[in-house]
Amino acid sequence: MSIRLVRSLEAHTDKVWSVSVHNRLPLLATASSDKSCKIYDLTNGELVATLDDTHKRSARSVAWKPTGQEPSLACGSFDSTISIWGKDYDEWSLLAVIEGHENEVKGVAWSKDGYFLASCSRDKSIWIWEADDDNEEFECISVLQEHSQDVKHVVWSQYEDLLASSSYDDTIRLWKEDDDDWSCVAQLTGHEGTVWCSDFEKSETSTRLVSGSDDCTVRVWQRTDANDSEETWELQAILPQCHKRAVYSVSWSPSGRIASVGSDGQLVVYEYQSDQWEITHVQKLSHGVYEANSVQWCKPYAADDDNGTTTAEWLITGGDDGNVNVWSIS
Amino acid sequence: MSEPINANPTVLDVNALPTRGEDHKQEKALDSQVQELLSLAIDHGVDSDVQSQAPSLLSDSEEQEDPIDPQEIFDLIAHISDPEHPLTLGQLAVVNLSDIKVIDSGNRDEMGEVIIKITPTITHCSLATLIGLGIRVRLDRCLPVRFRITILLKEGSHQSENQVNKQLNDKERVAAACENDQLLNVISKMLATCK
Repeated sequence: MSIRLVRSLEAHTDKVWSVSVHNRLPLLATASSDKSCKIYDLTNGELVATLDDTHKRSARSVAWKPTGQEPSLACGSFDSTISIWGKDYDEWSLLAVIEGHENEVKGVAWSKDGYFLASCSRDKSIWIWEADDDNEEFECISVLQEHSQDVKHVVWSQYEDLLASSSYDDTIRLWKEDDDDWSCVAQLTGHEGTVWCSDFEKSETSTRLVSGSDDCTVRVWQRTDANDSEETWELQAILPQCHKRAVYSVSWSPSGRIASVGSDGQLVVYEYQSDQWEITHVQKLSHGVYEANSVQWCKPYAADDDNGTTTAEWLITGGDDGNVNVWSIS
Repeated sequence: MSEPINANPTVLDVNALPTRGEDHKQEKALDSQVQELLSLAIDHGVDSDVQSQAPSLLSDSEEQEDPIDPQEIFDLIAHISDPEHPLTLGQLAVVNLSDIKVIDSGNRDEMGEVIIKITPTITHCSLATLIGLGIRVRLDRCLPVRFRITILLKEGSHQSENQVNKQLNDKERVAAACENDQLLNVISKMLATCK
């Protein structure tokens, strides 16, 4: 078991808030306080495009659309808008700017087939947008307002149209469509502080969610029962505690590993071994003495990396130092 | 502001605020010792051996800085102006030396921590968040990047203690607030009296 820094990209001049890796292509997108997004080629670490001159305030979150002939992405900004960018004849261009939220947009996420875009904001609401294939028309089909405070993050399941939202009200809510209307099907309580982020397990047979919070814990929740309008979720585990400050981001890998990063700068990897979750890697100071804000798993894009073993996976982290780091876990 | 929220705050004498008085005396004593040593030295020319040693001494000091102590933090924030009185946070005893905790090895490659408990002048002070934000901005600008800063209301000093604490320590909310020009203007005025 080892953790190795593959590459460090000096991506931005200010905080990197969010990183996103395309589900099929070796493309990495970043969002930063410097108001721009950048796109990198993961095979060589080269900058592909800078998406700027659009947002008036911090770019807070970024998410690749999983579908479409050409790659496209959404970026949510503190300026209350969402920008949609796409590749068109080798040029990256702005396709749409979506307005609607009252103030800072904190999270954006695409559903599994690219049909829905969800966004969340300090205005306590989550908006579900219906997207067209050209990314030009976005129609708001639902505004979900059950959270009592800022909604920090949204994420969709890869296998069904199930959305999870994390909030400053210390809870996680799950949402799905029931008879043409979107409604809250479960509320997960237990965290003793802001929930910053959650991510679904990458499994078709079991539906679980991992969450990270200001209370320094990482928790795993499991769906035990579900119908169209209601789901039962239970806390399955609190992962061994390693973080000493807020956990800002969590990610669940295709092979079943969980990674978390946070204010203490640590990058922690957990694996389920002999009936319990164990910490298998800890990378202290993953961004020097700066905080780490975002983590995501992806497949390795370098040939010389895994020595023939199939367990190697990459982790991408973004930090307050403006850097994006690429790590290999094997 | 038309009506002050606390019209009659208790004010401390500036001369009674904690300073590094003792240390200054020590520095003076050291100075005179150095003078004495220099006057004793016979050869005033710089030895070439000493010169070649100098760079290594310098690189040592790059990693190891003097640890930051509570008095330094106090000096950075005590002169911030109160948003509604022509007085400083030190004078109003909103910030107190005994309520500042610093964890710092002095190593610039390790994270350090500063925990400050502030005492608003009245328990329903609606400006507590603004004061806390002013302190955070001041420290973010002045302290080395290795420090994580926690600002809390002193226990029992405010009726919405938990709410204000949560807001003051939410990184994202603070970052968003700091992009608000109007708010930054108010904070700049508060910080204008800092030395």
